[in-house]
Amino acid sequence: MNLGFVIGVLGVLILSHAAYSTIQYRGLLKITEEEFTGPPLNVVVELIVGLALCMWAALTFPGKFLSIHPDSDENRAVSLPDNSDFMIFNHRGRLFPPEITMKF
Amino acid sequence: MVTKTEETELSQLENQVENGGGGVWEYLCVVRKLKVRRSELVLKHGLSILNDPGKRSALGPDEWTLYEQVAIAAMDCQSLAVAQNCIKVLQKKFPESKRVGKLEALLLEAKGMWEEAEKAYSILLEDNPLDQVIHKRKVAMAKAQGKPSLAIEHLNKYLEVFMADHDAWRELAEIYVSLQMYKQAAFCYEELILSQPTLPLYHLAYAEVLYTIGGHENLIAARKYYASTIDLTGGKSTRALFGLCLCGSAIAQLSKGRNKEDKDMAAPELQSLAATALEKEYKQKAPAKLNLLSSALRSLKL
Repeated sequence: MNLGFVIGVLGVLILSHAAYSTIQYRGLLKITEEEFTGPPLNVVVELIVGLALCMWAALTFPGKFLSIHPDSDENRAVSLPDNSDFMIFNHRGRLFPPEITMKF
Repeated sequence: MVTKTEETELSQLENQVENGGGGVWEYLCVVRKLKVRRSELVLKHGLSILNDPGKRSALGPDEWTLYEQVAIAAMDCQSLAVAQNCIKVLQKKFPESKRVGKLEALLLEAKGMWEEAEKAYSILLEDNPLDQVIHKRKVAMAKAQGKPSLAIEHLNKYLEVFMADHDAWRELAEIYVSLQMYKQAAFCYEELILSQPTLPLYHLAYAEVLYTIGGHENLIAARKYYASTIDLTGGKSTRALFGLCLCGSAIAQLSKGRNKEDKDMAAPELQSLAATALEKEYKQKAPAKLNLLSSALRSLKL
């Protein structure tokens, strides 16, 4: 988990560095009065690397994914809740009160 | 509904608590959240917390919820003195509370003093005529006194006002089934399926009621609902698989005299598929009984 966090931070840093390089490049283009068609190749490579690192970190950092299938082994409905609003106390168990002590 | 993970968590906590491993408060919270009925354990362990003033004050404001939970569990186990004491403590803390009033009326019910409980509930209803819990307690009282027709009457009146309460529909369906009024029970289960179509247990119960009523159309419908249960549970419901095989053979027997109506293009494949699935499951879980199963399935296909 820690590795995922570090790699996530690294990915974000790389992305922000790519953004800063693009801004600098645009400033340079403004001086030489050329059209801004797209960031230079090395910035694109840096963007792809940053994307890959951030995606990997986003998938590994949060931990175990939960299942969404309603019939998977964890999510299946095993039983309905006992209707406690309609609970009656008139059952056979009332002849066997448990031995308890209370001090309040 | 209780999912498998919640059930395993509950049984784990139960084992831990029973073997003296602590975690009592988490167990009580889980029981309260899942609304399961574990009255003896709740009483025993809840009292162990309440008897100890140190642990009691460590709970803070949750102490009163615990008193309420232990009071109801005590009533279920017929330890009326404990329940009385818990209610007294709650009364001292919250003198004019309706919630405590409901608990007192519940205690009268547990003692079997039906008229006094009736009176107490009517007084509470005067202040708040739309209180769902009190209406449901009236139904429960009618059920406890052995008057299912009165319970049905009360429940029907309740459901005219609060149509979306699926616990009440479920209760009505169960009372009808106990009185063998299957057509009305089928209606209740239809309402339940409409409100929660993804819960396979309702489909299963509906299919069983239809199968009990019998008759050609009902059997075909029952088979459809067994099939939908199998679909919703991913093929893991043994009961639905058996139901499918039985429906198939019942339909075959009924339509022996008739001509080839919509003689179920799906029928032979469905039945044999279900039989194969059953045999696979038995091979995995109970191989000793596999022979019994195979001979039973063979006799069904006649």
